[in-house]
Amino acid sequence: MTEANTVDATLRALLADVLGLGEARAAALTEDSGLFGELPEFDSMAVATVLTEMEDRLGILIDDDEIDGEIFETYGNLLAFSQRKVTG
Amino acid sequence: MSEHRLRIDPAGTPRATILIVPPLFEEANRTRRTLVLAMRALATDGFAAVLPDLPGQNESLVPLVEVDLVRWQDALAKAVSGIAGPVIVASLRGGALIDHKAKAAAWWRLAPVGGASLLRTLMRARVSADREAGIASSLEGLQEEAKTAPLLLAGNRLSSAMIMQLGASEAQVVEPLRSAGLGADGIAGTPLWLRAEPGEDAAMSAAIAADIAAWSKTCGIS
Repeated sequence: MTEANTVDATLRALLADVLGLGEARAAALTEDSGLFGELPEFDSMAVATVLTEMEDRLGILIDDDEIDGEIFETYGNLLAFSQRKVTG
Repeated sequence: MSEHRLRIDPAGTPRATILIVPPLFEEANRTRRTLVLAMRALATDGFAAVLPDLPGQNESLVPLVEVDLVRWQDALAKAVSGIAGPVIVASLRGGALIDHKAKAAAWWRLAPVGGASLLRTLMRARVSADREAGIASSLEGLQEEAKTAPLLLAGNRLSSAMIMQLGASEAQVVEPLRSAGLGADGIAGTPLWLRAEPGEDAAMSAAIAADIAAWSKTCGIS
């Protein structure tokens, strides 16, 4: 598996865990799938949990000022942010 | 003031008592049903199972802002000292940060987590909620504020002492200990404590009960 695929798989599994999406719904997420504001489960506590789990599972550190509303707008945005962080 | 506790007894004399230390804050609600199902399975297997309310949580009359990790550690030690016969302390997630003062025959931990990680998530939830409300706050700013005043974090009003202790807290060495994670070498199941909406996992409950029972045997308790 390439690094990009690994990040994608890790992120889908993480969203499935936090949002209780189930494997099928997590696998069906596309670049354009809306997250915050679209999925009712995605509240501010879920955002916080996702950030801490991203740090643990992807081995990255996320600063406050890196986070804006856009990151959580779509799955594609969150994936692009994660891949940027992982490749440094 | 004594706190409520949920106790499930087996038919006949218990082989031993399993004292469950729940995860901290919201994670306790997300896992309570699965833990109680595990307690029922343990009782069927001949164990007594006890799930105490921590001061400041659940039905407790103590305001949360008045407690800290040390008080929780002492409350658990007292709860265990009042139980006749051997006790195995079984803790989940942040419960592992407060389980070591109890005098137990053995310890069992599932997915223990450092206090800093729990605190970071609580503070982030606050920053995220503030942002939605159009208020600019930051983790650094909240850390600074916490030194002199209680903070409201994801619905929990936490004292300076609680926040400082949580930020520096790691699970302590205890003996004998089985520390399990999720997955092939540990408990098959999902991390329900992360879940935005409470769920349950009956298979995971059964796996938890079976693993604790096996550990009890390994330790020569019963």
